[in-house]
This record gives sequence, C-alpha cells and structure tokens, in this order.
Amino acid sequence: MPSLRSLPPVARACLIGLVALAVLCWLGPLLTRFDPHSPDWTALSVGPGVAGHWFGTDAIGRDVYARTLAGGRLSLTIGLLASVVALVIGLGYGAIAGLAGGRVERALLRVLDVFSALPFLLVVILLLTLFERSLGLLLAAIGGYVWIDLARVMRAEAARLREAPFVLAAEAAGASFRQRLHWHVLPNLLPLAFVYLGLILPQAILVESFLGFLGLSVDEPSASWGTLLSEGVQELDGAPWTLLFPAGLLVATLAAFQFLGDGLRDWLDVQGQREMAAA
Amino acid sequence: MSGAGAVLAVRGLRVEARHGGILRGGHDASARNRNPLASGTVAGPNPRVLLDGLDLELHAGECLGLVGESGSGKSLSALALLGLLPPALQATGQLSHDGATIAMGSSAHAALRGRVLGWVPQDPLAALHPLRTAGSQLVEALRVMRGQSREHARREAEALFARVQLPDPAAALHRFPHQFSGGQRQRIAIAIALATRPRVLIADEPTSSLDARIARDILDLLDTLRREDGLALLLISHDLPLVGAYAQRLVVLQRGALVERGDTRAVFADPQQAYTRELLAADRLAPLPPARDDAAVLLRGEHLRMRYPKAPRDALDGVSIELRRGEGLALVGESGSGKSTLGRALLRLLRGVHGRVLLFDDGQDGIDLAVLPARELRALRARIGVVFQDPYASLDPRLRIAEIVAEPLRIHGRGDAAARRAKVAELLQAVGLDASGADEDLLDRHPHQFSGGQRQRIAIARALATDPDLLVCDEAVSALDAHHRAAILALLVTLKRERGLALLFVTHDLAAAAAVAERIAVLEAGRIVESGVTAEVLRAPQHPHTRALLAARPAA
Repeated sequence: MPSLRSLPPVARACLIGLVALAVLCWLGPLLTRFDPHSPDWTALSVGPGVAGHWFGTDAIGRDVYARTLAGGRLSLTIGLLASVVALVIGLGYGAIAGLAGGRVERALLRVLDVFSALPFLLVVILLLTLFERSLGLLLAAIGGYVWIDLARVMRAEAARLREAPFVLAAEAAGASFRQRLHWHVLPNLLPLAFVYLGLILPQAILVESFLGFLGLSVDEPSASWGTLLSEGVQELDGAPWTLLFPAGLLVATLAAFQFLGDGLRDWLDVQGQREMAAA
Repeated sequence: MSGAGAVLAVRGLRVEARHGGILRGGHDASARNRNPLASGTVAGPNPRVLLDGLDLELHAGECLGLVGESGSGKSLSALALLGLLPPALQATGQLSHDGATIAMGSSAHAALRGRVLGWVPQDPLAALHPLRTAGSQLVEALRVMRGQSREHARREAEALFARVQLPDPAAALHRFPHQFSGGQRQRIAIAIALATRPRVLIADEPTSSLDARIARDILDLLDTLRREDGLALLLISHDLPLVGAYAQRLVVLQRGALVERGDTRAVFADPQQAYTRELLAADRLAPLPPARDDAAVLLRGEHLRMRYPKAPRDALDGVSIELRRGEGLALVGESGSGKSTLGRALLRLLRGVHGRVLLFDDGQDGIDLAVLPARELRALRARIGVVFQDPYASLDPRLRIAEIVAEPLRIHGRGDAAARRAKVAELLQAVGLDASGADEDLLDRHPHQFSGGQRQRIAIARALATDPDLLVCDEAVSALDAHHRAAILALLVTLKRERGLALLFVTHDLAAAAAVAERIAVLEAGRIVESGVTAEVLRAPQHPHTRALLAARPAA
C-alpha cells in the first residue's frame, strides 16, 4: 500500500482533523476540572464562558464541554468497534462469496439482497427494545446495519481476484479453497477493506447517534452525542448551547469523514490506474 | 538530414523527469500504456533522462517505423510529439512543422493536435467512451474541431466510417463500443483520429491487442490511408518484422537512445547493430527434432464439449486430443477459436465441461480428471504445471519470490521451510535466474522488481516446483517482447528436453508453436480443423483456415 502522502490535500486535512478530534475526546476531559456527570449547583443553565464552563452548563448544571467530549469518546469508540465488527463480517462474507463463484455466490448475494430489503433500523430498534441492552448487542446491531454494502464491495473485488491469473495458478497447482482464501484473496482484499473502514465509520457513528437520540444507545448517566442531542432539543429554548455544541461537533465529524471518504475513493482510483500502468 | 519538406520534424528530442518529478495523481494520460516510469524499466546512465537525442522526420505519404522493446522510449516519443507528456516529464528539442519552428510544449504545439497530428491509441476499448455510441463520439470530434452542424457532422461521420471500412456505417453510428469487435473498435478510433483531417497519424502499438489476421487488416487500412490521402504515418511497435512490412524508413530505439536508422530494405538486408539483428532474429528459431511415436500417452481428452453461459455456440464442440510423454503439442487458433478453453478444460479449471479427461501414469489405466473428487484432483495437480499469459498478473504482487515459487510445494506439503527455499533457489537457477551467492536476496524480492521476461521465468519456476510430467503454457510468450519471447521459448525447449516434460502450448503465434511443439492442432470455432506434425502442417497446410493463419503471419 503506497503512502498516504498522495492523498488529496482536503482529505489529508480532514484526516488530521479527525485524529485531532479523537485525541481531544480522549484527553480533553483531563483539561477541565468538571466531571461530565456531576452537577455544578452554583451554575445551572449558564451560557458559554460563565464560571469557567467553556461551553456552558445544562439545566441541572452539568458541564457541556465535559459532556460533549465524553459523548464524542463514546460515539467514536462505539462507531469504530461497530465498524470493525462490520469489517470482519463483510470481508469474510464477501471474500467467500466472491471466491466461491457460481451457485454459492448467487445464493449468498440473494441473502444480502434480503438483508438490504429489511427495514433494518426498525429491526434494530425492536431488538434493542425487546432484549436487555448491552454494548455487545449495540455493536452487533450497528455492525449488522453497515456490513451489507461492505460485503458487496468485497464480493465484487474477490470475484475479480478469483479470475486473476495468480489465483488461477494457485488453483491449478492444487490449492484448496481455504488456501486460496487465506494466501491470496484475504491479504489482497485487506488494504481495500481498511480504506472502506473510512467510509463505513461515519455510517456507524450516524446510526449510533440516531439510536442515542431515541434513547436506545448507552444508558444513563453515560451519554453519546445522540443522547446529548435529544437532551439539547428539550432545552433548546432556555439553553441552546446544550444542543449546538454536540450537534456542531457531530456535523463536523460526519462532514470530515465525508470529505475523507471522497478523497480516499479518488485516491483508490489513482492507485488502481497506477497498478494498471505498472502492469 | 535537413528536415526540409517534412510535415513534422523533431531534432534532438530529449525527455527527462523534472526535478522531484515522480508521477503523481491521476493525470497520467498513458495509464494503460505500460508507462516506463511506473514499471521502472528505463535505466540509462542518468536515470532522469528517459529519451535522448532522437531525430524524427515525418514526410507526407511516408510511413516511418519506430521500433524497440518495451521501456525503450517509443511511447514517450509519441507523447512528446503530441505534447501530451505527463507534467512530471519534460521534453526538449527542435520541433518544426512545414519548416516553421515551434517551441516544445507551447500553445502553438498544442494547436498542432487534431489539425496536424492525429493519434491512434493502443487499446481502443480504453480510449472510447463506453457509455456513448460510436457515432456520437465521432460527431463530437467533428463539431468541436471543425465546427460543423449536427446534420453535416452526422453525414461526415458516416462517410468516415465507410472510409475505415466499417461494415454498415449508418448502423454503426448508433452502436456502443462494446458491440464492436477489437478490430472494429480500432477502426472507429482511426475514424475519430481522421475526423480533424490531420496530416500526420501517430499509431502507438495499434495492433498489439489484436489477432495477427485482424492486425494485418488494420495495418493495411493505415497503409491505404497513407497512400491515398498522403498521410505521414508514424508506426510504433515492438515487432520489427511487422513494422518492416509497412514502413519505408525505420528508427530502432533501445533504452531511450537511437540504435539504428535507415531505409527499411537496407536495415533488413544488412542490420548494422547487434540489437537490431536480435530483434530481427527473434522470430527465427532452431527447428525441433522430430517427435517420437513410441512414447506413452500422458493426457487424453475425449469428446470435450463446453458452452459458456449465454453464448450462442459451443466454445468446444466435441474435441478429442492426445498428448504423449515428453512431447510438445501446440494448440493454435485465433482468439475465440476455443484454444484457451480447451487448455483449461483439460486442466479442469472450467465448470460445465462434458467429456472425459484421462491422465495416465506409467502402464496404468487413465484417471478421469473430469469426475475425480476435488480432494484427489488437487493431489494430482502436482503432476501438471501451468504458466499463464500475463506475467504481471500471474504472480501475487504482495508475496516474495521465494513464497511464490514455493507455493505448490506448500500446497502439497513437500519439505520443510529450509528444504523448500533450497528447492526454490535450484528452480530459479534452472529457469535462468541466478539465485546463488551475492544474489541470494533475489528470493526475497517482490514481483514488481522484475521485468516481464524475468517474471515469466519465475512463473515457469513455480510451475516446475512439484516436478510435473506436463507443463501447460497458455499464451505464455505472447505478452513478451520479441527477444524475451525467443529466450523463453528456448528455455522451454531446454526444460522439455532435460526434464522429459510434455508441453501443451496454447498460442496464436505459429512461429512460437513451431519452436517448441513437435505436433500441432489448429482450432477454429471450437473444433480441431487440422492436426499433425508441426513441420508438415506448416509446410503444406490442408485446411483453408490454417492457410489463412499462415498468410496472416508478418513476413520476416
């Protein structure tokens, strides 16, 4: 995989911004003396900058700066873990379907079609309402929602690899399905899968925020961005900053991922052309 | 050499990489042209200079042939003349058009494109827009460059399609690129190049993706245009004999420098440089000793029948074939004749093949590969090695050479890591890549660090890893330059003799077939139309199709 230096400048800036945001979310709470969960009884619903509360406080006096960063930490972590879940499932499923070809491939693709046709958010909401909520279930739910597109991409790429002469040569030399999968297909899919991680991460964060907004993500007192948004909406009249700061960061994060994704896609195209040129 | 009377002339053409000029971004106009920078094959005394001191003169009604192996700078010269070099490269030299000097890379140079210079691409499929009809692409060129009205442009487009001898030009206007054959697509590309009425046509490997016979037709068309319209033609190719049949004058390039130039007849009659002689001799290989008739049968295909999904006819139409131990058998035909399909059917690398494929061990009954359970089939694959056409795609780019060549040994669980590594070194030696001594690190390099010919040697080493009885070569030399091709063919003959290998050689190249195979089978439309001892078939072909194939061969 060639260096990230050839990424377009906008995408590179977004990547740097996202890394900075992640670092801020993890280390930022150390910079403030306020705890995200404990109220400051002397400053209820104060605006940004008052009494050392940079982003103000909410109706029960919790520091919005601390809560926004703690929420970002949860949103990013859950998004990342769920994306990795999706990546593992999608990569494995797509690779097997693509390499198998024929009837197996068609059957696995039909299964994907069925999954795509399900109103998935509804199913996720039902699951999260019916069963006891846990981090594992949440990750499975979000991962299960975003893996489908990834599996399609991996399937297409694996099908191309199946016909690639070096995989054909392995088959002609007597390699079993498992050997071809492990030696050739998965290692050659991995770089692409990592790039796609940048494309599915924002989806996962968005789904998590959506569930959080509905109160179906992590439980009180923890709050992800989605939870903060739903709280902020209720206080919109008296304390709009409780909505604006988390919402602003969420929008900025998703936009940065969008630009990064576009950049990665272009960059992949260029890499593809270059490989062709080298071939 | 004055340049007087030349439509276009360039003196002292030099192309070098700009400072810090590494190809970056997606502006690589020649992405599919095997860019010499990307493949790293250009290596002169100064690696930044890719082409140096080239003089070219293009006269009206004359064909100039520019010949050299890949990486010699042929395509770079074409791009430099067109002013289409990627920004990382800089061309210098004296360019003149009808005697008037034009600065390289100036806007006056850019204005020559279309008005004076026309370009015929190497790969017409890549050069044509896949989602627009052939007619609309041509009409666009006519309207933009000649400012014609839509109706006028449409009539002219039809006339141009007729000019390039496309069948049914009026209907062709409304068809998409994928609905044409490779040769027809190249005709469309030529028609587009002609749309602006250029006086010079630059054809960069215009036939390298085509069959010999179709290639001949395309070159005949270009020749007709040259004679009848007085076009100056720059014909770029790695195939010296082919170019020699059309060009009046020749320029031979090697590693970015001029090797030989002159009148075609003089160069052919008395080549001055060793490199030119090598290019000329590449097609003339020593004849094989006659086949022995007493060897045991190794592989037999019986009544093989196969049809691809949705294909209108059978790709294999009841083919039977037999291969003896230590014998070379060539399967020859045009693309679409079923020769590659037959090769893969015999290997059971295809689904949906009917018929029997028997693999014999000494003195035993044959085992029918077609019905063998997958596990047993995989074990038997150790007895058959395969080499594919594209040396770039047939090696996993991520793996090291040691891993690639040892893969069949790993598959069949032979030896431990150290023993496998020793075997790999021995195999590389056998295929002419020296892996001993100081070059030990050869084993730890990646495929991209090797040239096409070297990669094909690596692929052959891999195919031989399990000491097979049979080596199947599917167009194994057709992607190679002339002199690499000759070297690989010689290697195959040596390996065949020393190891008693049987060779199944799938090719469209009769000369290559004659070099390695004692027997030959000619395929057409999924059937064997003629077979026999190679020398006899080539001397006195019985079937009209064989005669057509022979006639299509460029005169050496």
